[in-house]
Amino acid sequence: MNQEDLAWQKLVVAARQAHDERDETAPYGFSTRVAALALAMQSQASIASILDRFSWRALGIASVLAIGSVGVSYGSWSTSTEEDLLSDEPVVSALFDASGE
Amino acid sequence: MPDDELFDLAGCLDRVRRRDQAAARELVDHLYPMVIRIVRARLPRRVQEEDLAQEIFLKMFSRMEQYQGAVPFSHWVSRIAVTTCIDHLRAQQRRPEFRMADLSENEANMLDTVMTSENAVAPDEALAAHELVHKLLGQLKPDDRLVIQLLDLEQKTIAEISALTGWNTSLVKVRAFRARRKLQKHFQDLKRKEHS
Repeated sequence: MNQEDLAWQKLVVAARQAHDERDETAPYGFSTRVAALALAMQSQASIASILDRFSWRALGIASVLAIGSVGVSYGSWSTSTEEDLLSDEPVVSALFDASGE
Repeated sequence: MPDDELFDLAGCLDRVRRRDQAAARELVDHLYPMVIRIVRARLPRRVQEEDLAQEIFLKMFSRMEQYQGAVPFSHWVSRIAVTTCIDHLRAQQRRPEFRMADLSENEANMLDTVMTSENAVAPDEALAAHELVHKLLGQLKPDDRLVIQLLDLEQKTIAEISALTGWNTSLVKVRAFRARRKLQKHFQDLKRKEHS
């Protein structure tokens, strides 16, 4: 063991003898304040988690509705031809008539 | 560690989980002596011990659901306390290098005694030794300081330090070895400055 190690060991042995005489009980009102804060934080967290859960649920329902509506309308979309779609354009048709052809 | 035999910890935790404020108060009062000892041993500069203790208790309550009972509850809380202190120590600025002139007369005498005398330090000089040890530890990085403090001052085993800090045993040994080398260097620097 070198001189510095020896000096450190002597120091820590002596330092361990120094007793901390300070009071170790919680100061007046400390536990009440901490308990109130902790429970308040937990309620905020639980409100946030409820909102979180509801928003995910709403997203799920919206997705199911969107997929359902696509499924219901798919039949009419698939049978439509380009011709059907074009014939249902009265504005274009009127413009054509107005062009004099 | 708090005396869990005289305190119905399981019952108290159960009531805290059911949001019983009186139980939360009892739990804080029960654990406060252990938490404040950890805080006082590692208190960063410019941080009030009560503020740090409050932060530790709030973390404990917010993580209560994560406690699985694998280790005693007091061990689990002391780990939260140690890691919270170390986070604060990491966040603070490095302490400027100190010189002999920064030491009080008692501390300078103490340093001289341990460096030159073969004898052990007298018991009535324990307080000066304690102050000097903390000044020297303050020169180390927070992780190095923690490992030396736990090993040399609190006489914890490598396994206990590993459990408290979450570092594996090899890391604890490497940190302790490096920290001791740095302490040696600080001693040598002080000695050189004293003679120059």
